[in-house]
Amino acid sequence: MHAPNLLVPLGWAPRARWGLLAAAGLALAAPAPARAALHVVTTVEGLAALAREVGGNRVAVESLSRGVADPHFVDANPMLAVKLRNADLLVDVGLELEIGWLPPLVTQSRNPDIQPGGRKRLTAASAVKVLDLPTGPVDRSMGDLHPQGNPHFLNDPRRGLDVAAAIADRLAVLDPAGASAYQSNLAAFRTRLTEAMEGWQHELEPLRGRKIFTEHRTFTYFLDWSGLVSAGELEPRPGVPPPPSHLAELVQVARQQGVKEIVVENYYDTKSAEVVARSTGAKVVQIPGDVGGEPSVRTYADYVGLVVQRVAEGLR
Amino acid sequence: MHRGMLAACALAALVPPCVHAQTVEGPAAGAAGGNPLARLMLMPDVSAIGSFTGVYDGYDVPGLSPDRGDLYGKKGQPTFVFQEVELGLQAVVDPYFRADVFASFSPGGADVEEAYATTLALPAGLQLRAGKFFSPFGRMNQQHPHVWEFLDAPLARGRLLAEDTLSGPGVVASWLAPTPWFAQLELAAQSTAPYSGEDPELTGVARLLQYFTLSDAASVGLGLSGARRNEGSPGAFRDLGGVDVYLRYRPVSSRAYLAVQGELYLRKFQDVPVAGGAPGEQLSERPEHGFWGQAFYRQDAYVGYGVRYEEAPAAGASAPGTERRLGGVLDWYPSEFSRVGLQASYDHLPGGRGGLEALLHFEFGIGAHGAHPF
Repeated sequence: MHAPNLLVPLGWAPRARWGLLAAAGLALAAPAPARAALHVVTTVEGLAALAREVGGNRVAVESLSRGVADPHFVDANPMLAVKLRNADLLVDVGLELEIGWLPPLVTQSRNPDIQPGGRKRLTAASAVKVLDLPTGPVDRSMGDLHPQGNPHFLNDPRRGLDVAAAIADRLAVLDPAGASAYQSNLAAFRTRLTEAMEGWQHELEPLRGRKIFTEHRTFTYFLDWSGLVSAGELEPRPGVPPPPSHLAELVQVARQQGVKEIVVENYYDTKSAEVVARSTGAKVVQIPGDVGGEPSVRTYADYVGLVVQRVAEGLR
Repeated sequence: MHRGMLAACALAALVPPCVHAQTVEGPAAGAAGGNPLARLMLMPDVSAIGSFTGVYDGYDVPGLSPDRGDLYGKKGQPTFVFQEVELGLQAVVDPYFRADVFASFSPGGADVEEAYATTLALPAGLQLRAGKFFSPFGRMNQQHPHVWEFLDAPLARGRLLAEDTLSGPGVVASWLAPTPWFAQLELAAQSTAPYSGEDPELTGVARLLQYFTLSDAASVGLGLSGARRNEGSPGAFRDLGGVDVYLRYRPVSSRAYLAVQGELYLRKFQDVPVAGGAPGEQLSERPEHGFWGQAFYRQDAYVGYGVRYEEAPAAGASAPGTERRLGGVLDWYPSEFSRVGLQASYDHLPGGRGGLEALLHFEFGIGAHGAHPF
C-alpha cells in the first residue's frame, strides 16, 4: 500500500526511454534499449540505495518499504508480494527486523529462490558484525527486543560497505557477465564513501565521548563508529512507551551526565523527547530513519551525511 | 596457555589425557563439539494464544440469537468464559514445503483447527496447500479470531457459512496471475461439516482475490467467493456465494490506519431433505443473505476503535425475518503481544425483541507466531 514504486521499470530508464522513442521514430531501425539484467527488491530503502551503487545500470532496484516508515511495522500488503514474484534478488536486513511482515509476502510470492537461504535471497545481517546480542535469558518482559541482535546497522558506513560488498558478490553469482562491473562499481563506491567518512569523522572527532539519548535502540552501530556514547533510550524497553517516571529518571541522568541531545528518527513521535528536553535544555534532533526519510536524502551517502550533520550540529 | 584452555585441560585430566589443541601448523578451524544449539535451531516456531472473555447477555442470546459458539451464558448475569488457547507450530518442512499447524484447546475439547503444508517451489505462480484448512471463502473465514478487530464473528457468518469456521480436510490450488496488481485465484476441494450434526461432505470452493493500489497510503482488496457442497443425496446441494471488500488507509510514516471492510454472504439449498423431516420434505430453496460492514480506526500502536453493522436471517426461537445488530469496539494493545477489548452491541430481532450484549476480552500471545497475511 504505502510501498513506493521505486522501480525503474525494466528497459524504461530515462536513456532507454529516449532509445525506445528513437526506435519508434526510425521505424525499428535503432537498436533495442539496454535492459537491466536483474530486478533487485530490498526490504528497506537503505539497502536499495546500496544495491543501486553496486548494481549500476545492470540492475533495476525497488524497495518494499519507504524511508519515512518504521521498518518494524510495514503492512504485509499483497501488492508487495507481486513485487517479489519476479525478483531476481531479495535483500533483507534480517535479525527479525522484518519478521512482522516479510515472511507471509515471501510465501505468497511463489518465488522459490527468495525463500530464506535461497540463492536469490541475501540477508544483509549475514555480512556484518552484529551488536547488542542478548547474553542472558530473554523474554518479552524485556520488550519487543531483537533476540538475534540489533538490526539497525545501516547507520554505520563501515557496515554499509560490508553490505554493499555482499550485494556485489551475490549479484556476480546471479549475473556472472556483470561480475567485473559490480566489482568496479563497488570499488568506486568504496572510494567515494571512504573519502566521505574521513570528512564525517573529522566532524565527529571533537564530539567523541559525548552522551546522547535516542528514542529506540537504533544508534548502537552509529555510536560504535562515531565514538559518541548512549546515555539511554526514551523507551524503557524496546517498543514500550516511556511512562513519566522513566522520563523523570532520564532527566536526572541527563543532568548528571551532561546529555545535550536526544536523537529521534522522524517516524517516531517527539512528545516524550520534548518533555525531557524542556527539563534539561537538551536539543531534540530529528533525523531520517533511512534513505528516503527526507526528500533530499536520495543516496546512502546523503543519508549518513545528514545524520552526521544533524547529530554534530545538535551537540555544538 | 589461555585460561580457558587451562581449565579445560584440568577438567579433561580427570578422564582422558588432555591433548593440546595448538600444533605446529596452528589450530584447526571449527567449533569444539559442534553447535550445542543445533536441536533448538531445528525446532518449529511454537506459539500459544490465549483468549478469555467476560460476557453480558441482556436478552437470552443462546435462545433468540444462536450460532455464536458457546460464548453466551445466562441472561442478565455476567459470566466469564475461557474461549481457547490456540497452539501454533510452524516451520519449513524441506526445500519444497512449509507446514503450519494450529490446534485449539477450549472447554469443548481439543481440535486441530488447521494443519496444512504449502508448496514453496511450484512454477508458473502456482501454489498448493494440502491438509486441513479454513476454506478460502471470504476474508474473515480464513482468519483466526485473534486477528479480528472485533471480538466475535458477525452474525451472518454463523448463520449462513458455518457455526464456527467453514473448514475441513482437502486440497487447495492457488494461482497468482502475472498481472501488475495482486490477483489470486484459489480452487479448493474439501470435506466440510459446517454445523454440528452434519456429516462431512465434499465441497468445492473458488475464490478470486484482487488488490489494487489507490495511492501511496490507500489500497483496496476485492474478493469474490463461491462454494457448492454436496448434501448427501444426488442432485442435492448447498450453494454459497460471497463478496468481500477491504479498504485500508495508512499514511506511510504513521502507525495509525483506517480499515473499512465488509462481506456479503448468499446461501441457497437445492433439493435438500429436512433432517428428521417427513419424506419428501425439503429445506426452503429461497435464497438467503446476510452482510456485515465495519470501520476500525487504529489511532496509534496502542488504541483502536470501530463500529460494525450487520444483518442476518434470524434463527432459534426468534420470529423469522432479519436480525440486525449495531456494535462498537474499543481495543487497547499494551504491546504487540496482548490485547484488552471491550465490545458492546445492540441486537434488534424481528418482532421488536432483542437487547444489549457486551464482551470484555483479554488475549495474550507467547512464543514465535508467524506474521499474518494482510
